[in-house]
Amino acid sequence: MSYSVIKGAGYILVHVPGMVMHHGTTQTTEKVVNPGSDYLKELPSHMRSYEDCLAYPPNQTYIGNLPIDDLAQIPEPWADKKVEKPERFGKFGEIMPEDEFILLMQACDVFDLVRLDKKFVAKTLPKLKEHPLMNENILALIKEGDEAAEIKSAIEDGAEALIFADKAVGYVKRAHDVDVNLSAHVMFENLVSKASEVLSVLHLVKNAGIDAADVDYMIDCSEEACGDMNQRGGGNFAKAAAEIAGLVNATGSDTRGFCAGPAHAIVEAASLVKAGTFKNVVVAGGGCTAKLGMNGKDHVKKGLPILEDCLGGFAVLVSENDGKSPEINTDIVGRHRVGTGSAPQAVIGSLVTDPLAEAGMTILDVDKYSPEMQNPDITKPAGAGDVPESNYKMIGALGVKLGQMERTQLPAFVKEHGLKGYAPTQGHIPSGVPYLGYARESIMSGKTKNAMIIGKGSLFLGRMTNLFDGISFLVQANTKKDEKKAAAPAVKVPVIGIAAAGYELDPQNLVDAVEFAANKGCKAVIIDGEDCHAKMEAMLKSGEIDGAVTSHYPFPIGVSTVGRVVTPALGKEMFIACTTGTSSTDRAEAMVKNAIYGIIAAKACGIEEPTVGILNADDARRCERALLKLKENGYSFEFAESCRADGGHMMRGNDVLRGTPDVLACDPLTGNLMMKMFSSFNTGGNFEASGYGYGPGIGGNYGKLILIISRASGAPVIANAVQYASQLAASNWLKISGEELRKAQRAGMNDILEEMRSEGKHAFEKPAAKVKAPAKETVTVDIHGVEVTDIDAAVESLWEKGIYAESGMGCTGPVVMVNEAKAGKAEEILKEKGFIA
Amino acid sequence: MAILQDKKVIIIGDRDGIPGPAIAACAESAGAEVVFASTECFV
Amino acid sequence: MDLENQKRVKEFSEQYGPENVVVLLGAAEGEAAGLAAETVTLGDPTFAGPLAGVSLGLTVYHVCEPEVKAEFDPDVYDEQISMMEMVLDVDDICSEMNAIRDQL
Repeated sequence: MSYSVIKGAGYILVHVPGMVMHHGTTQTTEKVVNPGSDYLKELPSHMRSYEDCLAYPPNQTYIGNLPIDDLAQIPEPWADKKVEKPERFGKFGEIMPEDEFILLMQACDVFDLVRLDKKFVAKTLPKLKEHPLMNENILALIKEGDEAAEIKSAIEDGAEALIFADKAVGYVKRAHDVDVNLSAHVMFENLVSKASEVLSVLHLVKNAGIDAADVDYMIDCSEEACGDMNQRGGGNFAKAAAEIAGLVNATGSDTRGFCAGPAHAIVEAASLVKAGTFKNVVVAGGGCTAKLGMNGKDHVKKGLPILEDCLGGFAVLVSENDGKSPEINTDIVGRHRVGTGSAPQAVIGSLVTDPLAEAGMTILDVDKYSPEMQNPDITKPAGAGDVPESNYKMIGALGVKLGQMERTQLPAFVKEHGLKGYAPTQGHIPSGVPYLGYARESIMSGKTKNAMIIGKGSLFLGRMTNLFDGISFLVQANTKKDEKKAAAPAVKVPVIGIAAAGYELDPQNLVDAVEFAANKGCKAVIIDGEDCHAKMEAMLKSGEIDGAVTSHYPFPIGVSTVGRVVTPALGKEMFIACTTGTSSTDRAEAMVKNAIYGIIAAKACGIEEPTVGILNADDARRCERALLKLKENGYSFEFAESCRADGGHMMRGNDVLRGTPDVLACDPLTGNLMMKMFSSFNTGGNFEASGYGYGPGIGGNYGKLILIISRASGAPVIANAVQYASQLAASNWLKISGEELRKAQRAGMNDILEEMRSEGKHAFEKPAAKVKAPAKETVTVDIHGVEVTDIDAAVESLWEKGIYAESGMGCTGPVVMVNEAKAGKAEEILKEKGFIA
Repeated sequence: MAILQDKKVIIIGDRDGIPGPAIAACAESAGAEVVFASTECFV
Repeated sequence: MDLENQKRVKEFSEQYGPENVVVLLGAAEGEAAGLAAETVTLGDPTFAGPLAGVSLGLTVYHVCEPEVKAEFDPDVYDEQISMMEMVLDVDDICSEMNAIRDQL
């Protein structure tokens, strides 16, 4: 089924100096704690006029009159800059003055809570009647008004004042005598949110060119809550606003997630439409009075105007695929998971690089990122920096860590893939969604091909959890047309580059390898020269090649390679994980990770359920314990059974030669040694003639398809490596890698490894006092699985419990030997103490 | 002398800088006891 | 600094004694780090919170400063924070922090 599309967007601002003074929490808090402060005295002289607010460049960008690129050309700070011909209306919406908005608030109030001064109404209503989107139904909701004296006395009695041009022109009264959830203050905030949401929806309906009656569903994603004392957040703003905006066939609901709310809501809308539940879903959010003048103290201190003097609102229409509009690709959705943690690199990984890697993309494949689009003019003087820019730096920095680009490219990345922030600091309003209007235009004109929208939310502010949150999605050019054309997709043969740096054998081998590969139906090109690695990286990045086979190439820590050999005994293929690189500096941890990387490579080569064996080397038992725990926690895979009579998961020399397991997990040095022996045992050693080479680098988010050969790999091995690479490219190995790693994470891999590392650091302590051995018994039963370093402690812990035991070296490693009658009890004790799994 | 070993640590993280829990993990690794960790939000 | 956080800093300083308390900051910018550092040493420069006019003189570091970084487990630091070194202006943060410490 095709993706849903962004059919249109509406963006509005409301200039509300009166609300800044009387309802912004920075100001109201100051009035309580420091009523005589200089800040409060100076504040009025820092308020902007409506005209200045209109001419402020970022505001014109928000409503669609000043393209983002043009805004970026204006040197910062912008507070003292003005656009030449400021307009109230733009292609996305408008900047409404406070007096008209107060009337709109009354139109949005259906409980007679907003009362206005007669003269004020008489003066302002004609202005609102001129408004192109205010229809008769809305205008009819505005009442004639009360006498000034009535307004004054109501405010004295505790009603929330509505101030215009320093005069009280009306009020919002409480909706209940006792219930704080219906207090004048709460009703005021909620009506402001509702009215600015209605205005956004009116603009959206016009911009998207649809009939209001065609909207099926509306999702509100503001940061307010409406309800009463028995259901404080009962809801629902969406339906309340839909009613005033004339969406007669819609119902709706509210979605919350702090600043991430809008991105959550759009993913929900896109899914509802894609599933066919609804055809047209509106996502909208109104403005927030509490955040007005939030950073006012810093602005006043620095001689700036109060820049947070506007409410913001937005509305987006998500519709069925029309074959034209940009699509919301719900297969590329990033989410901050409960287990993600709060480290910035983990957050960006979960929101950006993970979903991209799963789709076989790097950060460079997304043209524009729209994270939190806060206007830096507001945040910089307040010490919060340039928020969008630091997001771009974080995305780029993670890309550098993952080897997707060089550190020197970071500034260029920020410039090319970033956008200037221009949205008011209204929490949810700047969070990713402001760009949807511009993104729609840019993608439809072909200027850009896609954009990633990233919402992030500070859940911890609600004191319900310490967790952070976020969700992201990709908007892309419409693909529906292409679908028809590409009804019978031609199978593309991947192109693999060969960059044999420092090659030791006759270069004719490379030429032969290309021919041998062609005979297998694979396509390879030779990349030569001293700078062949740089050329290779550039060709991978541009897509000229789909993968590469190379030598003498360093991988970052965390990445190791999975080699593939043909075993001499039975001619069976076996994956050796790993053969070079370092998945972890801890040996046992490396073996566990290598096992998973081996599974990834084997699955990508078409083995549906690869079996895993562990090379019987030092630390093998620790590796086995961890893998058993992973399996027990739900990470599904099968162990191989040794071909020796006593079986088990430990692979002996015979198993290695026969290729008993599909995947042989081992440490890098041993793996490398075996790789070389398997490749050249029949040529005398200096010419590697058999197998597929050292294999692809796998690990974490590493996204490049690069396979390793040695400088002594002959033409047959190189040709096989090209075939191996082609298989991986064709099977979307990155997606398989992402899925496997996530399954392992879900089974608690991190905790298991952490536990293993800590037990590695502190070997089991021997019982405190010297334990004496109990009376000697015949010991005939071997208990396997104790690490050699712990063997003495294991024996003594049995002695302590009165069981006679001896240690010994069995053929698969150390054993604890006990009397047959006590074997069961002994195993229980050893398990309990964590010596065996 | 160590700065953090055995000290009571108060953490004031920043949503757009380093969040509180990330700092807490580091502080604990240096042998400090985290008595309070918060994350401020300017936006 | 947030008023609630100022209150908590003050309470912990009284409870454990200022010599036993270390404050670690994660601010995004040098200036913000400096302001927070000033708040827990010399007192709240904005005179808005419980630490206005209260000089606690606490030991305070930004988490990216080399003095404390040296004491963290490098693996933990790498996992939790290292990427942000590419994002933050660490030199500016250090110099703002040192400027406050120089006033003590």
